Amino acid sequence: MRYRLKLSGIILAMMSMTAAADITFNGFASIRATAADSDGGEPPFSTFKGDGDISFKDESLFALQARADLTEGLSATVQLMAEGINDFEVEARWAYVSYELSDRHRLSLGRFANPIFFQSEYEKVGYAHNFSRLPTAVYIGFEFSTIEGIALDSTFDFDDYVLDTKVLYGNWDGGAFFAVTGQEESFALNDIMSIRATLTYDWWKIFAGAFVAEMDGGSIDQAVLNTFAAPGIAAAQALGATDADVATFQEAVTWTGEDGLYWYSGFNIDYNNWIFDFEYASYQVEDSTDALNNVWYAALGYRFGSTVLTVHTEELTQDIDYDSLSPVQHPVLVATGRAIHDALGAREFDGYGISLRYDFHSNAALKMDYFSGEDTRPTVKDYTIWSVGIDLVF
Amino acid sequence: MKNSMLSIFLLGAVSFSSVADVAVIVHPSNADALDSGNISKIFLGKSKKFPSGEQAVPVSQLSKNPIRVEFDRKVLNKSSSQVKAHWSKLLFTGKGQPPQEVTTDGEVIELVANNPNIIGFVDASQVDATVKVVATF
Repeated sequence: MRYRLKLSGIILAMMSMTAAADITFNGFASIRATAADSDGGEPPFSTFKGDGDISFKDESLFALQARADLTEGLSATVQLMAEGINDFEVEARWAYVSYELSDRHRLSLGRFANPIFFQSEYEKVGYAHNFSRLPTAVYIGFEFSTIEGIALDSTFDFDDYVLDTKVLYGNWDGGAFFAVTGQEESFALNDIMSIRATLTYDWWKIFAGAFVAEMDGGSIDQAVLNTFAAPGIAAAQALGATDADVATFQEAVTWTGEDGLYWYSGFNIDYNNWIFDFEYASYQVEDSTDALNNVWYAALGYRFGSTVLTVHTEELTQDIDYDSLSPVQHPVLVATGRAIHDALGAREFDGYGISLRYDFHSNAALKMDYFSGEDTRPTVKDYTIWSVGIDLVF
Repeated sequence: MKNSMLSIFLLGAVSFSSVADVAVIVHPSNADALDSGNISKIFLGKSKKFPSGEQAVPVSQLSKNPIRVEFDRKVLNKSSSQVKAHWSKLLFTGKGQPPQEVTTDGEVIELVANNPNIIGFVDASQVDATVKVVATF
């Protein structure tokens, strides 16, 4: 669910805040010209038009963050974002209250980032990284990277090492693009529990994290049952399948009530101007028709003064298994279930990219990139993306 | 050719002479011994305390100031853009606020001289008796 607010309401809220506390305003922006094209004609990712034309909207965004210090460790933060992909409609991306329990621990309540992957929290802040867009195989744009809940951030420093941890509980409802239906489907995540740890030394860091949530399948279940399963169920019933057989089948192919499990790990090295990043993640809705997604990227960069040149490769693969169908006995229903598994797990892609970052201003970076890859969907196949843009912080 | 070489030599000499020593300063009452690792942690938001356990409040200078560039390079081992990218990650994820940035060495010295919790850096040639130098780079 997006939190779009009327601009007048936002301004009124800020004016009210300024009367009560010191407000710090910061912001970031990306203005990027992007062109994506594919042999199949469809865009490689849902955030692009895919017709090869240059777009100044697909990857441009503006964000303004206001932080009110309410003294004695209490603060309130709101981050408003307008993305070109949403016609620059302003939304309250984050809105939360934080309390500094001590120098090491900070408690936050409200709407904030869910670190489903390592850089999810700042993936929209282009200035913070060297890519035009973080590798899409991993950072595929799940909307549940922002949730409502409670989080505890902690920092422990000892000798030359720093350990950062985050523990989070929350909920989310919204939508995500599903390649098999070609549109956004709604669903929800309940009782999200997430943990992450990052160990940093001067020139390297290693990290790992995981989160588990209970799924509410929403329109995904409806799409699976109505669009894909209905003909199979009808055929099975015509061949003697009982109501109990159908109920068992429906339980086996739907997502509601199942656990969604994510985990990721990786490392970053920044030594003598050489930069190496690696991240691997795996996720799945267990005991459902969702395949196990394995995603990773590796990037090698070199810093020449104010310029960083980065090459990277990335991949998304899916491991289909039919274990969720083991309780299903009727052969037609088994065949239908396997076909749904195959359809949902069919999309895989990989790619290679080269990115150039030039810090031409103390608050701005010029970025150029070229990315080429292959998608298993016949509507996409080989694809290319190139972009030129500027990332700002202020 | 000789003139060109001479020009390059003179340019290099001028550049070399313009590189100032960076003095990291604290209040005279601060008895902590600080090395580049301690200082780097404080200025990158990884530690909020001096080794003694007292609260540490870093004060920086504008990113266009030459002494700030030198501090980022010599102490933090980063370019100013890298430092800004680092703080962007913390700022826009609610994990920290970058140090206050002031305009001149004099402002840093005045802030440090009047607050035992503040740590700053200035051109070493500008240090006076109201502050204590804990490290020079």
